[in-house]
Amino acid sequence: MVFPRRSAVYMLLVGALVLFLGPFAWLLDTALKAPSELRVLPIHWWPHHLSLNNFRDALTQIDYLGYARNSLTIATLYAVLVTLASAWAGYGFARLNAPGKRMIFNVLLSTMMLPQILTLIPTYLLFAKLHLTNTYMPWVLWGLSGAPYLIFLFRQFFSNMPKELEEAAIVDGCGQIRIFWRIFLPQSWPVIATSLILSFSWTWGDFVAPALLLDDNHTTLAVKLAYGYVNEHGSPLWNLVAAGAVMYVVPVLALFLIVQRGFVTGVATSGLK
Amino acid sequence: MSTEQITAPGAPSPSGETAARPGPRTGARSGRGPRSMTTRRAISFYVFAGPWMLGFLALTAFPLGYALWLSLTNSDGLSNNSRFVGLDNYREVFSDPETMSSLARTGVFTAITVPLTIAAGLLLAVLVNQPIRARGLFRTLLYLPAVVPPVGAALTFKLIFDRDSGAANGALDALHIDGVSWLMDPYARWVLVSLTVWGAGNVMIISLAGLQDIPRELHEAARIDGANAWQTFTRITLPLLSPVLFFQVITGIIAAVQSFLPLLISLDPTPKGVTAVPEGNYLFMIHVFAQYFANGRYGYASAMLWVLFLIIIAVTFLVFRLSKGAVFYAVDPEPAAKASRPRTIGGK
Repeated sequence: MVFPRRSAVYMLLVGALVLFLGPFAWLLDTALKAPSELRVLPIHWWPHHLSLNNFRDALTQIDYLGYARNSLTIATLYAVLVTLASAWAGYGFARLNAPGKRMIFNVLLSTMMLPQILTLIPTYLLFAKLHLTNTYMPWVLWGLSGAPYLIFLFRQFFSNMPKELEEAAIVDGCGQIRIFWRIFLPQSWPVIATSLILSFSWTWGDFVAPALLLDDNHTTLAVKLAYGYVNEHGSPLWNLVAAGAVMYVVPVLALFLIVQRGFVTGVATSGLK
Repeated sequence: MSTEQITAPGAPSPSGETAARPGPRTGARSGRGPRSMTTRRAISFYVFAGPWMLGFLALTAFPLGYALWLSLTNSDGLSNNSRFVGLDNYREVFSDPETMSSLARTGVFTAITVPLTIAAGLLLAVLVNQPIRARGLFRTLLYLPAVVPPVGAALTFKLIFDRDSGAANGALDALHIDGVSWLMDPYARWVLVSLTVWGAGNVMIISLAGLQDIPRELHEAARIDGANAWQTFTRITLPLLSPVLFFQVITGIIAAVQSFLPLLISLDPTPKGVTAVPEGNYLFMIHVFAQYFANGRYGYASAMLWVLFLIIIAVTFLVFRLSKGAVFYAVDPEPAAKASRPRTIGGK
């Protein structure tokens, strides 16, 4: 479809850009303003006293780097485990047959539709009973069991690989595990990359699970950011919130811009499943 | 990565095995007896699928069952003297006005945000699919908000809509209109809606992939036949895009139901702060959280979770039903492979 007039397209797009990028501008704007500029009328649209102090204060007001380390550890741990586990399961669904496979695959597909929030609270109660709160074990266990969506991605990829690869290996006496590890996994780096990126950014962005499972000292940056920057009366310090949020969001945006293709392929594929 | 010839999963009555590509069959050629080979493959399958199956049983099925059991008791999560109360909790779910209104509110929220997000995303997709300059840049920039983690997005909107220092009231002030408390009733719900629609880049990217799969010849043929842009869009683009949009509706509903943005843009974004969420944003899941963590009513809250679970199944099923006929699926290129309704999208 071609729009009647190209200039209309540009106008609409520029309008959309203002709406979609405006919030980023305001976030950065607030992060660069002096605290005294926040409660003035008329408001300052631009910082009159440009400074990076907010960033420095945001790092010290809470143990920013400590929480960032928690986030990084959990996200990396989960991303690596879930990617391996999903590739492992995806291989089984793509290349092997067994009685009951169809039913199991249907269960897998329906769990993709299951809102995770439904199981999260009861799972939390379970982890609490097992004294696994305030540890990273929940993420290890979640990682080891793979994620249905990623299993599906790997399954699609492995299904499309030629049969000969495997047959040659079987003739050579390779077992399935070796075939997976030596032949199929090394070929699937585009999916591995997509899977790592997606699972890392899910975990980095997740709020509810760490809010439930980890206490204030062990929690992730996402949780601490949401309520950590308050003064002694409990009112929010918006400059620090902004600066903290900038430092939290920018790495994700940078990762996205660097590996756009992986991100977009993953997301776009999800729509075409 | 190949995105074509991928089939739509998760149909409600999935006759499931997606079309046409069962893994290699038994390796009868390998010289060993076909039977032992089959058995070995079956064992291998369970070795590979096993970890996920165990994880599913322990971390999905068991918790759901545990919640079901809790929902039949008056457990408070702490004391051990909870007792069986039958369906009392379920009766209360349907008679408690607060629960019912939070459920209705969630329905309204979903009914507003899902179509709005899809419409916005689709419009953007059509725009960035035009032959214009720098469209790669436009795509990237418009998608950017969808990459922002929920907490980052929520904090950004809190800054914009802050009563004293936010840009929203700053703009009103410039127009000599008195500012309002955006994060309180009755405005908070619109902040929530706009925050949700801000992530429409996801729909845009997915729809764009769908648009690019539509053969150019179809549009050209339509133009030659004298169809105008709008006709081409409604008669060709939309029907061919409908499986993609349909999928967006389902995932949109699921995302809307489990949205935690109401908590994140409230004044006290901690699990215990759920009671401080303004009434306009007091969605069902927020209410569930409040019952668990503010009131300690584990039994009742578990019943609410299960009601939500059943509602989601029902809604998904209903949407699938309603979409039959409205959603256009390309004909399966390998009709022999499946007797069931073809579900292949974009098969060439």
